[in-house]
Amino acid sequence: MTMTDSPPATDIAHADSAAAVASPVAGLYEALTSTDHKIIGRLWLRAGVLMLIGAVALGVLLGFERVDGASTDIFGGDNAYFQVWALYRIGLALLVAAPLFIGLAMVVAPMQVGSTNIAFPRAALASAWGFMIGAVIMIVAVLAGGGWGAVDQASGDERDAVALTLVGMAMVVISLLLGALCVATTVVSMRVKGMTLLRAPLFAWSMLVASAVWLLTLPVLLANLLIAYVDLHNGPGTFGGGLSGDLSIYGQVDWLVQQPQVYAFAIPVLGVLGSIVPVTAGVRAGRHGLSMGLIGFFGLLSVGAWAQPYFQPTSDAVVRYDEKFVYIAFGIAAILPVLGALGGAADALFRGRNNFAGLPPAHVLGALGAGLLLLVGTAAGVARVVEPFELGDRVTTSGVMNLVLFSAIAAAVAGMWFWAPKIGGSELPPMMGRLVAVSLIGGGLLLGGAQVVNGFFETSVVPLVAPTDDVGDALNVVSLLGMLLIAVGVLGLVAALGKALRSTETAADDPWGGHTLEWATATPPPPGNFAEAPALVTSEAPLLDAPTDEGGEP
Amino acid sequence: MTAATTGLPSAEVTRPRTVLVGTMFASAAAFMAFVGVVLVYVHERAEAVGSDSEWFPEGAVQLGPAGFVLSTLILSIFTIQWALQAITNDDRKNALVALALSSLFGAAVFNQLWFIINDTGFTLSATNAQFMFFVVLGTFTAFMISAVVFVALTFLRALIGQFGPRKADSVAAAAFYWNTVVAMYAIAWYVIFVTK
Repeated sequence: MTMTDSPPATDIAHADSAAAVASPVAGLYEALTSTDHKIIGRLWLRAGVLMLIGAVALGVLLGFERVDGASTDIFGGDNAYFQVWALYRIGLALLVAAPLFIGLAMVVAPMQVGSTNIAFPRAALASAWGFMIGAVIMIVAVLAGGGWGAVDQASGDERDAVALTLVGMAMVVISLLLGALCVATTVVSMRVKGMTLLRAPLFAWSMLVASAVWLLTLPVLLANLLIAYVDLHNGPGTFGGGLSGDLSIYGQVDWLVQQPQVYAFAIPVLGVLGSIVPVTAGVRAGRHGLSMGLIGFFGLLSVGAWAQPYFQPTSDAVVRYDEKFVYIAFGIAAILPVLGALGGAADALFRGRNNFAGLPPAHVLGALGAGLLLLVGTAAGVARVVEPFELGDRVTTSGVMNLVLFSAIAAAVAGMWFWAPKIGGSELPPMMGRLVAVSLIGGGLLLGGAQVVNGFFETSVVPLVAPTDDVGDALNVVSLLGMLLIAVGVLGLVAALGKALRSTETAADDPWGGHTLEWATATPPPPGNFAEAPALVTSEAPLLDAPTDEGGEP
Repeated sequence: MTAATTGLPSAEVTRPRTVLVGTMFASAAAFMAFVGVVLVYVHERAEAVGSDSEWFPEGAVQLGPAGFVLSTLILSIFTIQWALQAITNDDRKNALVALALSSLFGAAVFNQLWFIINDTGFTLSATNAQFMFFVVLGTFTAFMISAVVFVALTFLRALIGQFGPRKADSVAAAAFYWNTVVAMYAIAWYVIFVTK
């Protein structure tokens, strides 16, 4: 055992003191010191859900402001409006989508690959707390007048607050990278014997691909933040440090939420889809290798750090990146793996049609809906990159972002419903889950879809430019309705989580007839995840291949 | 359902090369952060050259001292690989000497960088060129410090006998990260000092 491994005795001690953890103080102590990946994963998930509530609240306020920008002044000025708009966009990616997936992966991925814990558990714990502290710093700094620049030509001299925003954002990014590193290392090097990388479960594989893409692209964002920060304090003032009336800091970070980089936050959607649908359909997933290839291809197409404005030529003589073949090809090709993954899900549903009775479970609705949102998002992305429409600077950009990121959020929520027995020990309420899934998917479609269409009416992506006609106004109302529907879904999610927290019922070990190793352990999983070492893995669905207790074929 | 209930043999739970794999991911991330900074430097310089502006003042940036830094770092590649080879052969004495030498080379690099920065007489806020010069070398210095700390910690762990032929992963990880940082400097050397 190396110094970075957690001693199992520690975890067992935690389990033994489970009764003592009933008090909030003991719970906090456990959250601060535990090296159990399930506890760390739950920390990430709680933080992600809290941030989701905040992001949706901001989204609703922004929606009201945009519907009637001329007479409404919720934020007290253009500058504050811009700060909140930027916080919403960056927050939805960095503070909501990514942490929800990292939390889910920290709980589920080690069990899926048959490991007793996550790699570098102390680093994983540090990443969770680093994320929370960084997120608080970032949000407080923005509310204190910081943010990523100023637009009103009057503000923007709150240098300390701007610097604090950059520090908080850097801390969030570093924490996400650390969490992604732990997840990726677990999947690569802690798989149980017999589980080759090609036999890895699709969710674990998709998190490996997503983590690798994040590890290769988010450091470039860190480089941007570093340059802006140094320029702010001591630089020549041409890299964002000039501030007054200067949007250059935001201009250097918003590639994060534009295509193709925004797709990187939705890579695990394909993994969730491929993990949930075949299990619910009661059939073996077809063409596991092809599904892995599609996820890897989507990951490749979502590498977008090269499309950041720092690398954009200012000279007219040089072709802009968004007019180049690679950018257009990436945008068009991104729809293919999503179509392929949805085709795989449809195939599983068709083959397992005889296994269905009654309403579809919440996690299936959520996973399929997330796939649909991603399909619409990538299709809108195709429209955005093809030349005739010229939608690059229009509100379509926000539409693609909202569709893709709410697809990621819906998939993470579907994953929470599916893996709830392994996350918290009890099932989440099924009816409420259906409400949440429908609200998130419907709301996401209304919000993002209306923005995509609005771009065709030449509405700018910059929030301070008022819509020019009645159609634009009407589409803004539709967007607001979509955001309100999402808010209903988030309220449902909070209610369901609250109900599950109060529940004393323990779920069955394998309520869905799972195919992968996380369903081979007890609910809730014991310290070390498996009371006995998992059976030798001989395929991508080891529980389907295992003989039954009676010794017959499964 | 467990191994007992499935009737299949239990699988061995192994943790091969976890530290090394984690370090590889971290090194890739660090390398991309550095490349991000260097590309901004390249972009700014191309813009300046394109508009017929002077990038660095004539003679301000000398190739000689920067070459010494590169030579030192190339030497350190041999010492860090020597450490890995020695620990794999269970030769702890040689491994300790090699790790200590690598750290020493790292310290020498700081000294030489300090000389280069003083020699140029640049200030951070003067021009985009001087600003980016500091940002690139500052970023490299930060990664160099982390590499020296990594090797120093590895040295301490080797000193108390944590590593051996069957447990050389941490030394391999330190060597991998060290070599990544050397590659970073090679890029900076070419971009800043050779092509100016």
